[in-house]
Amino acid sequence: MPDIAGFRERAEEYSLLWALVLVVGVLSLLPLARLLIEGVAPNGQPSTAALSSVLSSPTTWIAAQHSLATALGGTVLAMVIGGSVALLVSLTDIRGRNAFVFCFVIPLMLAPQVVALAWLQLLGPSSTLLKMIGLAPPLGTRNPLYSPGGIILLLGIQYAPLVFLTLRAGLRTLPQELIEAGLAGGAKPLRVVRTIVLPLMTPPLVAGIALCFVSCLGNFGIPAFLGIPGNYLVLPTLIYQRLAGLGPGVLSEVAVLSMLVGFIAVLGILLQDVMLRRRDFRITTTSNAARPFELQRWRFGVEAVLWILSVVILVLPIVALVCTSLVSAAGLPLNSTTATLENYAFVLFEHDAARRAFRNSFGLATTAAVVIVLIAVPLAYFLVWRRSRVLRLISLVTELPYALPGVVLAISAILLFLKPLPLVRMSLYNTVWIILFCYLARFLALGLRPVVSGYHQLDRTLEEASQIAGARLLRRIRTIILPLVAPAAAAGALLIFLTAFNELTVSALLWSSGAETLGVVLFSFQQGGDSTYAAALATLTVVVSIALMLSTLLVRGLPRGVLPWRD
Amino acid sequence: MKVASRPRLILAAGLAAIVVAATAGAQAPGGKLVLYTSQPERDASQTVAAFKRVYPAVEVEVFRSGTSEVMAKLAAEFSGGASKADVLLLADAATMESLKKDGRLLAYPDAKVAGLDSDTYDADRTYFGSKLITTGIAVNTSAKSRPTSWADLARPEYKGQIAMPSPLYSGAAAIMLGTMTTRPDLGWAYFEKLKAADAVAVRGNGAVLTAVANGEKAYGVLVDFMAFNAKAKGSPIDFIFPAEGTPAVTEPVAILKTTQNAPAARAFVDFILSDEGQKLAVSMGYIPARASAGSPAWLPPGTKIKLMNTDIAKVVQSNSANLKRFADIFGN
Repeated sequence: MPDIAGFRERAEEYSLLWALVLVVGVLSLLPLARLLIEGVAPNGQPSTAALSSVLSSPTTWIAAQHSLATALGGTVLAMVIGGSVALLVSLTDIRGRNAFVFCFVIPLMLAPQVVALAWLQLLGPSSTLLKMIGLAPPLGTRNPLYSPGGIILLLGIQYAPLVFLTLRAGLRTLPQELIEAGLAGGAKPLRVVRTIVLPLMTPPLVAGIALCFVSCLGNFGIPAFLGIPGNYLVLPTLIYQRLAGLGPGVLSEVAVLSMLVGFIAVLGILLQDVMLRRRDFRITTTSNAARPFELQRWRFGVEAVLWILSVVILVLPIVALVCTSLVSAAGLPLNSTTATLENYAFVLFEHDAARRAFRNSFGLATTAAVVIVLIAVPLAYFLVWRRSRVLRLISLVTELPYALPGVVLAISAILLFLKPLPLVRMSLYNTVWIILFCYLARFLALGLRPVVSGYHQLDRTLEEASQIAGARLLRRIRTIILPLVAPAAAAGALLIFLTAFNELTVSALLWSSGAETLGVVLFSFQQGGDSTYAAALATLTVVVSIALMLSTLLVRGLPRGVLPWRD
Repeated sequence: MKVASRPRLILAAGLAAIVVAATAGAQAPGGKLVLYTSQPERDASQTVAAFKRVYPAVEVEVFRSGTSEVMAKLAAEFSGGASKADVLLLADAATMESLKKDGRLLAYPDAKVAGLDSDTYDADRTYFGSKLITTGIAVNTSAKSRPTSWADLARPEYKGQIAMPSPLYSGAAAIMLGTMTTRPDLGWAYFEKLKAADAVAVRGNGAVLTAVANGEKAYGVLVDFMAFNAKAKGSPIDFIFPAEGTPAVTEPVAILKTTQNAPAARAFVDFILSDEGQKLAVSMGYIPARASAGSPAWLPPGTKIKLMNTDIAKVVQSNSANLKRFADIFGN
């Protein structure tokens, strides 16, 4: 007798699997393939000219070396900061933990160029702070941030929230029993962390590290501000150099350089796969959360260190930003005669595009976050639990659109969508939809990595039980799996929202009248030298996002541990 | 009799004017016009608004971004088929010259160039300078001493205090490099001296302005209007025209060969070069291409600015070699 139920089950699985293959293929593979063609066959003529000229240039290899060095350095720093903060916030009895969580998530909101500028002023000869304590370097001193160390420092600070958020989501699933067993066995808390917690947390830690590495590799804002004056070239800045140079063949050279970035990123991802292979990180969840370690006499000291850290990485740049936004012209000291709200009035009431940009960026960031999570949850199911070969292969490329500098992804999207789409005869070009496409492609990795690590930590028994009970795949995903991976998925969605809300490099090429994004407007102000307007807009962005994050506290009925800032 | 003929003459002239207006009306450009520009955002929107007052039937769409971004978009569009743009308004003539060399620009032989200095537009009439943007020395008002020439900047007392836009990332700065290195009084030796004086090359003019206004650097190589507009708003900044002269870019306007709306595109060029368009540039703080349009508030009338001559064709030709040499001198 034919097994009809089994057949329908398999039919559903297959259609879901191939739908996912198609989605990932279109989002991640298609733009890159189009770019690759540009690299090896510009205008349809096969040519190795760009390939050989780029690969034989010593500049390319210097930039590649620098890229690797700053990406590794930034990743290590982000891991140390983000990892230890996540452990302290999640495992110990420090007070005000939700406030700390807020402080360590917000920096992701600040556009890299804004952070870089704030830090330059902070440590430079014009620093108000250093002047106050009499330590301001004399005029003409070279700013110490114009160096590889400066780039690594700011990359580490910028991306520490990636490690922090993924690890925090993982720690939410840590069961009480394991820690208590360790403690009962006579182990000291530090030993428990080292031998029980950290090994179990390998998947989220590795996911966070991988995301950091790829983020550092593709970051343009920080090396542009610190590396160009410091004569320290990385691949993304080299790509911009090529774009600014005149002459034909620019696109092919950019395509070849992008392949190099992609190659380094894939190496990093493969390394991550090796680290996770053949080990088991599953935890029986749904037990009570672990009781926090009591820090006792160390508590005050640890809290003080955490507060100092949040002042350094959040408060200082924001104070610099707010000060700039309150003066009538750049370079004026803030006092009772120079203070004004005009910049805010201009941005809010006189500048139409700024208001539209808030709406557009909010819509784009929210849509991207929701859609990507909806893709990532079933995708990770096939990747982790079903070990689907075809998906594993294709998911290697999901990280590439994120690793490439945004301008490169935008160029690929233009090449892809300039002509109306075949069959439907519609054109995405010069609409907000082309930006959404790029956001989905670019930020898929940000959503997928945390969810994949969530699956690594889940025990499959519940899902198998419901399968035996006759629930088909989509239903199992909806009712069993989704609640279990919700913390990881929410962390991913949050990463996407915060990053996309301020995104610049993609939309700088793709926006059109009416489809401005916040990043584009900010960039316009900065470029025109209107740094006071730019500061006002950036401050508003931060205020709006903090308000949005606070408003989530009012939502009832979310599963436990979904919001990183709510116990 | 003679007295009687006068009203008739006026009547005839009036009729002729009506006929001219009517034919102009029949040919009045309309439809959609797509402009790609690297102008600062406020200037771009003011330019479009003023254009639309003269040609209300034309609907203008604008893409505004940095010069590199506009060029990247154009390159991708050329490669993917055809550009959506009809007209370009970009920072420098070298960029236009390279587009012209690739056969991307449409000549406009009837452009109204009377009254314009022939240096400001292309001899083949494919692109037309809309203004003069000079580059000089910006000084933070708290700086102790004031340079009066480019040569001064390389002196030891200014060591470590100079910011300049990097020609590797900015087309306008590349023209400056191409201009200054061919001069016997400056040449490559000058840039070697600047490097020895620890001058830093930042990504663009906006970054130079921010560095000098905030006192991060005391001196900056900067375009005139940015310094003067910031000064007018109260920033602690001054601007010096160096004794040797100043390199300048012309922010040219050009029509793409693939334009879908040539009449409107020509109307846009006409508008930019017209007295009204030129006066608009003056009101935005620029030196106009057409001297008769006046001069910006910061420039005392009658001031003669000493311009450095730029051989655009030569700059384009030597550009990649120049950039390589600059990268060698400045590390990368």
